[in-house]
Amino acid sequence: MIPSRNVHAPPAQSPRARWAVGIIGITAVAATALTVWLGLWVTPPDQSQGDLVRLVYIHPGVAWVALYLAFALAAVSSLLFLWTRTRSMFWDRLAAASVEVGVVFNVCTLISGSIWGKPTWGVWWAWDARLTSTAVLLVLFLGYLALRRVPAEPDVRAKRSAFVALFAAVDIPIVHFSVLWWRTLHQGATVLNPNLSPTIHGSMAWTLLLGFVAVTLVFVWMLLVRYRIGVLEDYLGTGELDVALRERQAEGAVTDEEEAA
Amino acid sequence: MTTAPPRPPSPPEGAGRGTPRATPLPPVRDGHRLRYAVVGLVLVGSLVFLVAKGLGTALNYYLPADQAVAQQATLGSKTFNLEGVVAPGSIHPTARGVDFVVTSGSTRLPVANTGSPPELFQADIPVIAVGHFSGSTFISNQILVKHSSNYIAQHPKRVTAPNGTKQ
Repeated sequence: MIPSRNVHAPPAQSPRARWAVGIIGITAVAATALTVWLGLWVTPPDQSQGDLVRLVYIHPGVAWVALYLAFALAAVSSLLFLWTRTRSMFWDRLAAASVEVGVVFNVCTLISGSIWGKPTWGVWWAWDARLTSTAVLLVLFLGYLALRRVPAEPDVRAKRSAFVALFAAVDIPIVHFSVLWWRTLHQGATVLNPNLSPTIHGSMAWTLLLGFVAVTLVFVWMLLVRYRIGVLEDYLGTGELDVALRERQAEGAVTDEEEAA
Repeated sequence: MTTAPPRPPSPPEGAGRGTPRATPLPPVRDGHRLRYAVVGLVLVGSLVFLVAKGLGTALNYYLPADQAVAQQATLGSKTFNLEGVVAPGSIHPTARGVDFVVTSGSTRLPVANTGSPPELFQADIPVIAVGHFSGSTFISNQILVKHSSNYIAQHPKRVTAPNGTKQ
């Protein structure tokens, strides 16, 4: 028998939302494929870096998502959660999803940067301000994720996490401006430089831009899927607790009946 | 097994805040507590390490050659990262590596490097040499190439690139 309203079912996702997530996913794959094709076959080699320049179509895009988009979104969501007028678990879940995806992109930033660094700089890693502050950001947000695993009431957990996210977000401008404030091995910004005049031209510039769009779309898709998983996890969490409570209550009821008999 | 009564509908999205639980959360078990402590220690430890590294070396990753020469007396034979632009025509491969001159402002400083430099090492580019002063020469054992944030396509037909190097 199918009940008229299935109370066991998790909160449903509207067909429109499912459709939107699907479209974003397909667009992300198409944009990534186009970036790879343009980046590897169509664009010319660079004057000084030769074919090594092709990493510019991936690494800055991934870094943009990890360091700015994901963690800034997490910080804004956390702020909106802490502000009582906008407080809602939506912001907490969005921040959590954003940090989790951001951490993946942060690791990808460090790996792709390392792969680029070895042949160009001559080292996999250097303790310069840009690289070090990026590693600090990763550890801070890993701490955020670890904190979310500590059992607590959802409200308490959300508040704690929001404070940690805001604290960690202080490092975001440090990462961005590190190449201006201090002497670093890492080069300055190509697009978001102080003059806002991109120092990349022609098809290389367009492919770089497309790379940013592609990685951003991949991020948005992952964020939406992770958010949905968060909703289901919360449902499962409360559901499991309800079942456990009811089992205990049922046990108690049986014992009472036995005693009465 | 007894039939469980139907589960109450889950709270709508956004309504989770402040929903009181019927019972307090189960206490944290000792094994879990140890795990949290270990994870916390690892995270705090790596953060302290990174910040120490950052404040120690990262803030001034290198010293430009002109400043290094000015501070030579205080630097002594201390190892540090020296930065300068490779002077054109100064690169001479040697048995143990490569000799070249870096310029910074009006300063010219000879560098004797042990080991082969990275692939992109060439004249007219900024490099960082890791080493120390020995008299008026800088003895290094590692060269890092500091590439710029400018990306310019190669022009196979052009004889000389804008920075003066042959294509």
